[in-house]
Parts: sequence; structure tokens; C-alpha cells
Amino acid sequence: MLEFLRSSAVRVALAVGVATIVATTAIFGLVYLQIRAADEKSNRLILEDEAAKSVNHTVDELRYAFEIRLTHDLRRLDYAALFAADGKVMFGNIDELPPVALDGKSHFVAAFRVPGSENRVQPAIFVARPRPDGSIMLLGRSLLETFAFRRTVLTALATGLAPMLLLTLAIGAFFARRASRRLTAIHDTIAQIMKGDMHLRLPVRATPDAIDTISRDVNLMLDEIMRLLVQIKGVSDNIAHDLRTPLAVVHAQLERGLESPESDELRGAARQALGHIDKAMLTVAALLRLADVEYGPKSSKFQTIDLSAICADLFEFFEPLATSKSINMTLEVRSPVQIQGDGDLIREAVSNLIGNALKFTPENGTVRVSVTQEDGRPVIRVSDNGIGVEPAERDKIFQRFYRTASGHRVPGSGLGLSIAAAIANLHDFDLRFEDNRPGALFEMSGRRRP
Amino acid sequence: MTKVTSIARQTILLVEDEKDLANEIKLELERLGHRVRVASVAEAADAARVGDAAMLIMDRMVHGEDSLKTLEVLRKERVKVPVLVISALGSIDERVRGLKAGGDDYLTKPFAMAELAARVEALMRRLDDVRTTKLRVGELEMDLIEHTVHRGDTRIDLLPREFKLLEYFLRHPGQVITRAMLLEDVWQYHFSLETNVVDVHISNLRKKIDPRGAPSSLIVNIRGAGFMLDDDA
Repeated sequence: MLEFLRSSAVRVALAVGVATIVATTAIFGLVYLQIRAADEKSNRLILEDEAAKSVNHTVDELRYAFEIRLTHDLRRLDYAALFAADGKVMFGNIDELPPVALDGKSHFVAAFRVPGSENRVQPAIFVARPRPDGSIMLLGRSLLETFAFRRTVLTALATGLAPMLLLTLAIGAFFARRASRRLTAIHDTIAQIMKGDMHLRLPVRATPDAIDTISRDVNLMLDEIMRLLVQIKGVSDNIAHDLRTPLAVVHAQLERGLESPESDELRGAARQALGHIDKAMLTVAALLRLADVEYGPKSSKFQTIDLSAICADLFEFFEPLATSKSINMTLEVRSPVQIQGDGDLIREAVSNLIGNALKFTPENGTVRVSVTQEDGRPVIRVSDNGIGVEPAERDKIFQRFYRTASGHRVPGSGLGLSIAAAIANLHDFDLRFEDNRPGALFEMSGRRRP
Repeated sequence: MTKVTSIARQTILLVEDEKDLANEIKLELERLGHRVRVASVAEAADAARVGDAAMLIMDRMVHGEDSLKTLEVLRKERVKVPVLVISALGSIDERVRGLKAGGDDYLTKPFAMAELAARVEALMRRLDDVRTTKLRVGELEMDLIEHTVHRGDTRIDLLPREFKLLEYFLRHPGQVITRAMLLEDVWQYHFSLETNVVDVHISNLRKKIDPRGAPSSLIVNIRGAGFMLDDDA
């Protein structure tokens, strides 16, 4: 229970409760004061108005009017009397002039003794006004009913506050408990996930509120972490496989060499072993390179570079290889296409694409390299009419170490496209595969600015 | 252009804190006829200052310390010893930093011993003949001013890149040249290639410079390492 009281949800509920009560009380108080003021004001105005109107009547007219008023209009006038200049009552229902100023203004008398009674007193207001003949006219109204009405209003308001207070606290406590229960559930789930149950997810309701939104974000984060975990596992499996194979071969070859009595045979085994170690080193170097591009500090060498010039240079570099394989290689470059980037990295990425295209294109095939500017975006395309990529393999070719079924026969680290994709990403470029029907088309293009 | 013998009496100082690797490098270079001493950064710097070092091979990080700082100091003192920086840090930025600090060449781990040996040879035999206007090996002559190549009286037409490639070989006759060295120095490509493009370029060059019907090429293959311009041809 103490923990419950200490929870932030409960504290918020209490604060809201207190604020509600203060606000309600203030509103009630204001309503009461307004009612009271309006009632009193109307009473005073009526009396003062009557007195002003009646002051010029003759004595007889006044007497008649008083009688009419006192007998027929009880609601507005309770007391009416005319006193002679010496203070003696001439007619009316009051014997004695109450202690009020004779100025035609209404005055409050807290305890006015009711005429014809010994000691009954009431609150009342009076207007006393001297007439031209020296006599004094007195009009009055009892405030007994008004006061009773005020008390009723006050009592009603006060009794309304108590349930209000209780209700507020109850609602606050209800929501606090519910919120804390949800937070506890989230806390427990996270604790379980941290213990290793990575498949659990935080509860999210159909109509999400703030907590659900955060829960959903956390769930998305967990999905991403899972994805990365799976990927890391896949990568380390691949690394293990790609390194284990040449190492095992090396081991076998050296053993065989040592067992043979001929030193020539040992030499041959050692030479073969070196070849396999070179392969392992190629893989390690490519892995380190990939890590460097992906996670290393962003290259400080970003400057204005011309993609057309870079591709033309690479074209010149690769063309002899194409010629030696009887592949028709073409270059389409119209004008300089300038970007901010690291020329060495872009060269590396494009050389991976061109190298791949040449690798997978048979004799008499075609490889095209083009650099264009489309909708203000730089686009490099490397396409061939070679064996292409099977539909099932298309989303896997950018994964580390992935080699297509046919690609396994071709030497390489299997990291070239991963490195190219990482370099593209570093430059806010996308690297996409498209079917060239037949063959492969790799498109490296600047991302649209959102 | 025979082997420079005076340098052989001097020692290559090797700064490398991985003992196994240091030992392998030492054995390999000794096998090639060099004298090698494994040294600390300070020892190597002192030897270089008094002219006792044929060249320095420095690991970038030695016992957690950046040896490039010492190299920078040496260069400020105008010590001209050739320096090969080796490092596990392979990014292009790191390479540029190594060369800026005064390294003459930069090699990233892991590397093949043949690669290291080729680079050491190239640095040891680097000649201060930048002002040379003609390079010659056997019958082949390159005029750097006229930008022409002749074999005897026959003029050989080369594409600009082929010219550069041949120039590189002519400047390093009798030395092992690796594919990585050619990529870096002729094409300025600082990445490894998984294709044999360089071999194709070399074979195209051979077709142009070798006399018709010659029994062997002027540029020979060195198994497991690269190529060499045969200066005895």
C-alpha cells in the first residue's frame, strides 16, 4: 500500500483531486456571492424607488396606499408607517422609528424587533424619508426569507462538496491503480525479455494511448534488435564457414606434405596451402574493409567528385579484361555528374559492380556502364546480359557472404556487393538490383531528399 | 642498374610489438639478404638519426602508442630514412595520415610476406633520379620528355596508361612488383580487386614491348608475388 501511495500515478491523482476541489469550491463560492448580491440589490432598489415615488402623496393618499400595499402586496413590502415630525407614529404597522438615517437610502438593521412581539427580532432593511410637511415616511422589508434562502443555498453547496471530493479521489485512485498495473506489466515483460526471452513483446491495446505508443516503439526496437541478432548470427556462421574451409584444406595439405618423403611434394603442398591461406586472408581483408566502411568514422575526404570521370576511368581500366573475354563493354557518359563524396570509395563500389558484371557475363556478352542525372539525382547503372540472379535470390545478394548458386564456382570473398551497398549508403545512395531480362542491372542512385 | 651493395651493410630496423610477426618479417628479409634488427620506437629513431638505419619498418601502434608522432619528429629533423608503415588500421583516411606523417609507403595487415618484401625492396632501392629524362633496359628506351618509347629503332605506340605502367617497371628494374603496388601507384586505386584485370593490362603491354618471337617476356611473372622487369634481358 505504501508503495502504491508513493507511485507517481497516485501522486498525480491526488494533485488532480485537490485541484478539482479547490476549483469547485471557488466556483460555488462565486455563485453564492452573486446570488446574495443580486437579491439584496433588488430589495434595496425596490424600497428606495417606492419611497421616492410616495414622498409627494398627500397624507390620505399615503394612508390608502400603505393599506393596499401591506394587505395586497406582501411580497415586496413588509413594513410601512408615517411618523410625525416629533417621531410619533401617525399610521402604519410600526410603532417606533428604527435607528436609520432619514436620507431616502436603504439601511440594514441586523436585529429589528418585530412589532407586536416582546423579543422576536429579524434582520431587515429600511428606507426613511422626510416629507415636505416635516413628517417622516418609513418603508421596510424583512430579510428573514432572504437569509433563509441564503442559508439553504450555502448548505446545498457545502453538502455537494463532500461527495465531489470523494468521487474525485476514487476516480483518481482507480486510474492510478490501472496505470500502475499496466506499468508493472510492462516492467515484468521487459525483465523477462532481458533474461533472454527475446520473443516476448509489450502489450498494446487496440485503441492506443501514450503508454501504448511507447510500448509499440519499444516493440519495434525489439524487432530490429532481433533482426540484427539473426543477421549477426548468420554473418558469424558464414565467417566461420568461409574461414574454416580453407584452413581445413591447408591443414590437410601440410599434413600430406610432411608425411611424404619427397621434398618436392612438400613444396607442392606448401604452395597449395599458401593459395588457400591467401583466400582466407582475402576474406579477412574484405571483412575488415566492410566494417571500416560501415562502422568506421565517416570519411573526412568528402569533396566534390565527378561520377562521370570516375566511371570513365574505371571503364578504361576494365576494358582490356572485357576484350580478353570477348565481352562488348560500353560506356554512356554525357556530362559531368558531380556529388559530394569520397572518390576512392565510389571507385571501389563501382569497380565491384563492373568486376561482378564481367565475372558473370559469358563470352560475346555485353556489359554497359552509364552515368546519368535523372530528376536531379545522380544514377550509375551497370548492366549485363549474363546469367542474372534467380528471383528467389534477389533480396539476398546484398547480404554478407551470399553467393548465388552459380556464383559459388567463381572466386571471390562474397563481400563485394555488401561493400558496394555500404559505400552507397555512406553517400546517401541506394544500390538496387533489377532484372535486365536477361542479365543483371545494378543501379546506384542518389536518394530523393524528403 | 645492379644491386646496391653499400646499403646492405646497414640495418633495417623493425618496430613491431607482435613477436611472432616480427620474427617472421625478420626471417623473410634476412632470407633476402638484409640485416634486420627488431627495435623499440626510440631505438629505431636514434639509429635513423645517426645514419645507421637502411630503412624503418614501423607498426603504427606499438604497445598502445602511436609511432607516427615519432615519425613526424624525425621528418621535422629532416631525417630522410625510408619508412614503411604497417598497420591494422586499413581505412583510406588512416593511410593518408600515415603518408602525411612522413611514411613512404603504407601496408595494411594482414599482408603476404611477398608483398612486404616487394615494398621493402622498392623503398631500399628508390633512386633520387627524378630528373632523369630517359629510362632504359636492354634495347627498350623511354623518353620521359618526348613521351616516346623505342625498342632499338622501332617506335612503340603506347596508350597513356600503358606508358605509365611501363614507366613504373622501368623505374624498378629487377624488383618484384606486386599487383597491389601497381594498382596503388599506376592507377591510384586503394582497394583490393578480386579480378585479374592487372594481369590483362600486363599481357597487353607485353605484346607491345616484347620483340616478335622472343622466347621470354621482358616482364616476367613471379609466382605468388607479382611481376618483375628482367633487367638482364
